[in-house]
Amino acid sequence: MKGQHIIVLFISIILFSCEDVIDVDVPTSEPRLVIDASINWFKETSGNEQSIKLTLTAPFFDNGVPPANDADVLITDENGNVFNFLEEDNSGIYKNTDFVPVIDLAYTLTVIYQNETYTATDKLLSVADFERVEQNLEGGFDGEETEIKAFFTDPIDEENYYFFEFIPNIPVTPTLDTFKDEFVNGNEIFGFYVEEDLNPGNEVIIRNYGVSEEFYEYMFVLLQQTGGGGGPFETQPATVRGNCINTTNPDNYPLGYFRLSEVSEIIYTVQN
Amino acid sequence: MTLRTYCLLLLFCFANITLYGQDKVTLSGIVSDADSNETLIGVNILFPELKTGATTNEYGFYSITLPKGTYNIMISYLGYKEISETIDLTENTKRDFSLNESVESLDEVILKENIEKLNIRKPQMSINALTSNTIKQIPVVFGEADVIKAITLLPGVTTAGEGASGFNVRGGAADQNLILLDEATIYNSSHLFGLFSVFNPDAIKDLKLYKGGIPARYGGRVSSVLDIYQKEGNSNKFHVNGGIGLISSRLLAEGPINKGKGSFLLGGRATYAHLFLPLFDIENKAYFYDLNTKISYKLNQSNNVYLSGYFGRDVFSLNDSFKNTYGNTVLNFRWNHLFSDKLFSNLSLIYSDYYYGLNLDFVGFNWDSGITNFNVKYDFKHYVSDKIKLQYGLNSIYHQFNPGEIKPSNNESGINAEKLIDKYAFENALYLDIEHKLSNKLSASYGLRYSSFLRLGQDALNIYANNQAVNFNQQLQIYEKADPIRVENYSRGDVIKSFGNFEPRLALSYLLSNNASIKASYNRLSQYLHLISNTSSPTPLDVWAPSGKYIKPQILDQVAIGYFKNIKGNLYSLEIESFYKKVNNRIDYIDGADLIANDAIEQVVLNGEARAYGLEILFRKNEGRLKGWIAYTLSKSEQRTPGRTNLEPGINNGDWYKTPYDKTHDLSFTSSYDFTKKWRFNANFIFQTGQPVTYPNAQYEYNGITIPNYGLRNEYRLPMYHRLDISAIYTPKPDSLKSWHGEWVFGIYNIYNRRNAASINFQENRETGVNEAVRLSIFGIVPSVSYNFKF
Repeated sequence: MKGQHIIVLFISIILFSCEDVIDVDVPTSEPRLVIDASINWFKETSGNEQSIKLTLTAPFFDNGVPPANDADVLITDENGNVFNFLEEDNSGIYKNTDFVPVIDLAYTLTVIYQNETYTATDKLLSVADFERVEQNLEGGFDGEETEIKAFFTDPIDEENYYFFEFIPNIPVTPTLDTFKDEFVNGNEIFGFYVEEDLNPGNEVIIRNYGVSEEFYEYMFVLLQQTGGGGGPFETQPATVRGNCINTTNPDNYPLGYFRLSEVSEIIYTVQN
Repeated sequence: MTLRTYCLLLLFCFANITLYGQDKVTLSGIVSDADSNETLIGVNILFPELKTGATTNEYGFYSITLPKGTYNIMISYLGYKEISETIDLTENTKRDFSLNESVESLDEVILKENIEKLNIRKPQMSINALTSNTIKQIPVVFGEADVIKAITLLPGVTTAGEGASGFNVRGGAADQNLILLDEATIYNSSHLFGLFSVFNPDAIKDLKLYKGGIPARYGGRVSSVLDIYQKEGNSNKFHVNGGIGLISSRLLAEGPINKGKGSFLLGGRATYAHLFLPLFDIENKAYFYDLNTKISYKLNQSNNVYLSGYFGRDVFSLNDSFKNTYGNTVLNFRWNHLFSDKLFSNLSLIYSDYYYGLNLDFVGFNWDSGITNFNVKYDFKHYVSDKIKLQYGLNSIYHQFNPGEIKPSNNESGINAEKLIDKYAFENALYLDIEHKLSNKLSASYGLRYSSFLRLGQDALNIYANNQAVNFNQQLQIYEKADPIRVENYSRGDVIKSFGNFEPRLALSYLLSNNASIKASYNRLSQYLHLISNTSSPTPLDVWAPSGKYIKPQILDQVAIGYFKNIKGNLYSLEIESFYKKVNNRIDYIDGADLIANDAIEQVVLNGEARAYGLEILFRKNEGRLKGWIAYTLSKSEQRTPGRTNLEPGINNGDWYKTPYDKTHDLSFTSSYDFTKKWRFNANFIFQTGQPVTYPNAQYEYNGITIPNYGLRNEYRLPMYHRLDISAIYTPKPDSLKSWHGEWVFGIYNIYNRRNAASINFQENRETGVNEAVRLSIFGIVPSVSYNFKF
């Protein structure tokens, strides 16, 4: 229910407004470690192979961000099992091939980078299966966009939070979205995707991740600050802190999040 | 001054009043327009020999007490022929005056307040008045004359930006303005997200904006009072006037009831841009309409009754998948009663509400929210002597808040019906204002308002450990929602929390010469209602929340000092004012607060403070073929929310930061030039410091997307804002004696087509993946034409 996004989109339609790209001088802060640690257990797979990406922040207009190399990365679970993640060729991507995912088990991530220790703890959360997909080729606000609804049933006896990914095989960036069951508890609900350039024959990978309320809040704000927003109804942007902390030097806090989710995935081909 | 000494002083002055002698007589009556019988507000009744005078009140009534004798009396009002005659006062006299419009009524002076010499004596400062005619002359986008756009050309008044709702006075927030239409509160002053205001300029008689030195009869909002009166309607003849514009049309009819004993007014306005959209194969609708009605009836010499109403709605719909409706409704019954020639009273019974509805059919979602209030006001104006005028009264408002109701909009919807908890409150006030001429040079206006606010019982009030609805997470160094430990249910008659505040008001003026004065004022105001909004300007879906267990009332203290001078008679005038104000308990939102459909707003807000200070200069040319003004404001507006304990940093590290409506420099130039009787030209130029914004200080990657990282709030600014607008008004037959009068208004908004940034978005290009800064500008050059008529 992103009322504000809808209004912003709308105001840009009615106001004869125009958008153009301009040059702006922006400030630059000291680089910080960014922890992109998402343990994804796709349904009906073993979930043994996992990877964690460490990067650094970069000036806003730079082309890309540098990797964070030579870190020690490991995850321990509640039962004392330790999973070491090893870097692949200075890529900043750290891999493990014998990970054991267990629903509702708590895991702790430890990263040692440049003599500072970063940690985070979270639980692996389950997610409901997708049941069906509906499409509408005459959707969106102008009636010319493709809408896709991927249905599933929300469990009634608990508060649930969801994170969706829609990855089309056309050259546009994937769409991410968050959802909570506050107003739809226990019902058949859907992940909702609208894309202007999506045509019959194109494929979309649709993923639904079971996430915690904390991750939902984190991602909700992050997405709000990432493009699409703006206009007079923009909310005040701020640094978005995830669940990772620097135990050596708390002021040099990292960005990013350590999340563990069960994932439901469906690959949908747009029909005529 | 402590409150106690203040009360004693009030008492002392009150006691003083009864000491006046008996060999005096009172002259009172109504001043109206000879042609329409419309009562006139702010007419000066002058006695040159006595160097004294009176002005008519909001209902056209005046009263003055003088020693017996024979005097010259002058009745003057802008745009009207002055009446000058001799009057013999031997006993209490009732005398009504009718003024004729002066021939060059189109040459009307623009601002009518303070241009008469008498008014530099009045202690009231920080006030601006505009007539409906002035508002209609200012060039505006699409040629739609607009009240709010007009007041933003005055010093100390800004908006957050183009396409931003509401307005900001002296660095205050948009929800801190008390907006009254015929004494009824208007909650949202904007149509189409701030492009237009809800006030139809044809239906308006008079408006006053109080920026400081706010009299005790007003309360409930801390920053300003915008007091608007609708016309009563012509009680002599039936008249119609209207206008046909590029995107909207107006029609207003007025006429007598029962042979001039009463009058009616019925006005409507609607946009029809939605009519054209289907031509471009867009099934979208965006329009607004509003209706103004008023019936006035004179029962006898001492009793008048008025029934007035306003109804307005904005409607958007997009391809049937999105529908949005919102607007204000106001209904108001008033009874003017003269207890004596010295005691005028007005009783008002007012209903007002604001409704917001949203229907998102594509997700099966239906949303309603709003605020409703019932208001009783009883106000007295007591003209005790020529030196003392009292205003006193009481006011009770019952508020009902609907923060939101969610319903499934169709059978397939996955939405469960849900009601956010309704809230109720009862707001009361008592006030006394004394206008006191202490000597020929020194005048004072002082008063006291006592306001109380009772938050009434509701269902399911959240209770938190240590009464803290927001927790600080020491480990992650972020503010988080606290979980309620239990909920409590109250019955409607219970009082959950009560507040009471004394609000002293004081204004002084000292006459330096016949043409110059200095004035100073202090006021304290309290505000119990908060508009819950963390966007840079309010949106129509923002909800109002009452003060209560977790949100405290906002308390403002403002001081202002000013110098006022009339130059070369009334040809030019100069006003310089400086102000400082401070608001306690201004709520602020924790980073990332989600306010939409939030049933526990207390979990995302903290109590902070705000302050603003500045210098305002207004220089006007009031007469001649070229008229206009230059307004300049230098100001600063900031807020901060320190941590509640030493272990918390507060919002934005507890540092002061600029509010989104902080404008260091704000310059506006407004002029009109009468070229011939047929042609008049108008121009505006506006220059403002860019709006404060937050720029990213880094980028990073997470989950495959690029994210801008932001630092502290509002440390940077958008590029400066400026534009020039011009318009020409053509009256084909200015001297025509026929009843039909018409005029064409041609306008060009933003003539040099500056792309003023409404916002800059930092984002990753969806196709190239490259980071870019995207400027959104709302209006480039916009030409317009409209036709206005009257018969």
